[in-house]
Amino acid sequence: MSAGWLARRIALSLIMAWVVATIVFLALHMVPGDPAELLLSTGGAVPDATAVAELREKLGLERPLLTQYAAFLGGLLRGDLGTSLVDDYPVLHEIGLRLPRTLELILAGTLLAILIGVPAGVYAALHRGGAFDRFASGVTALLLAVPVFVVGTLLVLLFAQTLRLMPAGGYIALAQDPVQHLKLLTLPAIAIAKGLAAVLFRMTRSAMLDALANDYVRTAYAKGLAPRRVLIVHVLRNALNPVMTVLGLHMGTLLGGTVLVEYVFNWPGLSTPLLRAVEARDYPMVVGIVLTISILFLLINLVVELLQVLIDPRMKTA
Amino acid sequence: MTISRRSLLQAGLAAPALLSPLLSQRAVAQKAGGIIRYGLSAFPPNLQPWVSTGASAGTVKMLINRSLVGYGPNGELRGELAESWALDKDGAWVFKLRQGCLFHNGEPVTADDVKWSIEQIAGEKSTAYMRAQFQGVERIEIPDPQTIRLVTKQPEATLPTWFGNYNTFIIWRKSQPNEPIGAGPFRLAGQERGTSLDLVAFDKYYKPGFPKLKGIRFVVYADENLRNAALMSGDVDMIEYVPWQSMAAVEADQRLKLDSVEGPFMDVLFNGTKPPFNDARVRRAVAHAVKRDDIVKAAFFGRGKPLEGLPIVEGTPWYDKELAHGWNYDPARAKALLAEAGYANGFQTTMLATAQFGMHKDTAEVVQQHLAAIGIQCELQLPDWSTRVNRGVRGQYDMAIHGVSSDNNDPDGLTVVLDTSLSPSHGRSFKVDAPRTIAALAKGRAEFDQAKRVEIYKEMQRVALEEVPLVGLAWRSQGYGMTKDVKGFVNLPGALTTSSGCMLEETYFG
Repeated sequence: MSAGWLARRIALSLIMAWVVATIVFLALHMVPGDPAELLLSTGGAVPDATAVAELREKLGLERPLLTQYAAFLGGLLRGDLGTSLVDDYPVLHEIGLRLPRTLELILAGTLLAILIGVPAGVYAALHRGGAFDRFASGVTALLLAVPVFVVGTLLVLLFAQTLRLMPAGGYIALAQDPVQHLKLLTLPAIAIAKGLAAVLFRMTRSAMLDALANDYVRTAYAKGLAPRRVLIVHVLRNALNPVMTVLGLHMGTLLGGTVLVEYVFNWPGLSTPLLRAVEARDYPMVVGIVLTISILFLLINLVVELLQVLIDPRMKTA
Repeated sequence: MTISRRSLLQAGLAAPALLSPLLSQRAVAQKAGGIIRYGLSAFPPNLQPWVSTGASAGTVKMLINRSLVGYGPNGELRGELAESWALDKDGAWVFKLRQGCLFHNGEPVTADDVKWSIEQIAGEKSTAYMRAQFQGVERIEIPDPQTIRLVTKQPEATLPTWFGNYNTFIIWRKSQPNEPIGAGPFRLAGQERGTSLDLVAFDKYYKPGFPKLKGIRFVVYADENLRNAALMSGDVDMIEYVPWQSMAAVEADQRLKLDSVEGPFMDVLFNGTKPPFNDARVRRAVAHAVKRDDIVKAAFFGRGKPLEGLPIVEGTPWYDKELAHGWNYDPARAKALLAEAGYANGFQTTMLATAQFGMHKDTAEVVQQHLAAIGIQCELQLPDWSTRVNRGVRGQYDMAIHGVSSDNNDPDGLTVVLDTSLSPSHGRSFKVDAPRTIAALAKGRAEFDQAKRVEIYKEMQRVALEEVPLVGLAWRSQGYGMTKDVKGFVNLPGALTTSSGCMLEETYFG
């Protein structure tokens, strides 16, 4: 893995991010919907047409599309993503405030999924066909089948509305109230983790079974290594590679999954402003957030690739 | 120290028990401090005082700003920054300002601030909601620092209600464009975009003893079910827009109460530029074809009321029982009207609504069923809300479903939905011919005698039933849910329900 390779990968990622931003920018302007008209029609209100026209003028929406695109690209090069059409709030501030929360949710969910999925998969593989194996395989099928918003809503219904053990949703900063922060994080993290935990369980289980069947495992046992050492050094290390690949792929999709989870639990991450911005046709906000998410996606993939190489040196040549 | 598996498990099991008193202590602490936690349905897109950005924004705006007049618990106009107002002998409106009203920066509220605010609303580049109305003001005079005299181009009977709208506030005339300074009972102490807003009581508010609360914490719950769960789990003390399907649960809960009124309404709009809906008989056929009860049941879980005439609030002087049912459900009559218009065998058409809001979609589906029964086959078009608005403004539809609340309970407040000669909007029919309705509305606006106004508006209802600029479908219930110890809050009657936020200045824990 040379520096050149890394530079090429990063450059490619940046170009892809630019392509995504451009497509989003153009697509948003193509679909019907006028930000000025929408803002003044909030809640079904019936706005004055002249006021709408004035607002369009003020927001710079009367300029030709190419001029608007050029202004957007110019801003991007200066590191300026513009301001919201709705309240003039800088897009970068919004992203800076909310991105860490989305990341926290994804990381908490991923961690939870790894802590549950991987050990459960190892245990099930070692006791193949046993009661736990059969039970866990059934549960994972269920977890994969039930959509995340159903699980989310059920969690709220059970733990918040009925048992009143947990808050229904929302957010409070860690520094302000650590206990409440963690309580608020718990249910959404579980909702995020449930699909990934199921996938990791299955992947770990089958990768373990594959690895266990290898000759070198038999050899390792034969030469008298301790079972624990065989398991960790010979089986697990080899089994982890496909698990890492799957984890990498799924962390990307988790970004998408957070949209629903953040909505259901009122977790003020990046997804809610994105959703609201799309509805309001708040162009700069949508493009800015989508750009951030794409870069994040590309970044995660890059990191996963690097990790794979670290775990399995054979990947270096691939 | 070693941690055994058992002690870890025990700690885990005990944690929720240890934590939940903490949570309730927080809630108790906030209540004792006089801070109400209020579940808002949408974060205010912005808090610009004169731009309409929805009812949730209106609730916040009403608390940090003040106008000359406002609404009291019974829905009557009452003095706020103005202590009195009257028409003078020359037909101009004269407002006397109350002594001792201060803006949040400590500056006194003067006639100059009122004049400046009106000028901003009516200005050339204005994007204000009440822009068109205030452009009808010809001259603003200040006979003395506590008096303001408005000379209008035409007689304007409902001018005081303009100041009752939550998009008409008096702002300190030297405010920065992005930092309007108002004179409301609360100050904006902080906000996190899209998530929450914190208000604190303004200590120099002009009404002694008000506001009763020390502060309000608005937390946004865009999802209606989560908003309701937040109320039921005790995360908040009060919510707006209780979802219809949850109203029974709120009523049944020992700790909670529901305050609901029928204010906003659903209606059918038409494109009057092309057949068949350019024919009033066809529009009237639609009006008689729909069984409203089904809408109330299907879209609002029974939490509403059929609307078989114009949306005039029952109990107001303008309400007339017979006229209110002028478009009663009568499929035979609907068929006869279609035949008379030359569509004895019905026709095919389209109906525009939005799938983004369940109530719009559900209403459209019921209307579609009932129209099919008289031979009108309509294809539903259910794009997202932005597309729905866009196509509505441009007249790219045959029929459309809409839901709205008028500005106030005076029939003049219906102008905005009935006057099809105004600029095209998604919220009124597209170029439907209704000259007599529009003339009656203008006549009512220029008449100051209450008895005569009542007659004019009854006549307006009569001609509108014939001209059909829209078809009323159903009133929908608008409910606030709160814990039983929240006192002093009143859901204002009829169309004013969306202005009920102003009651938070009288709200307290008791």
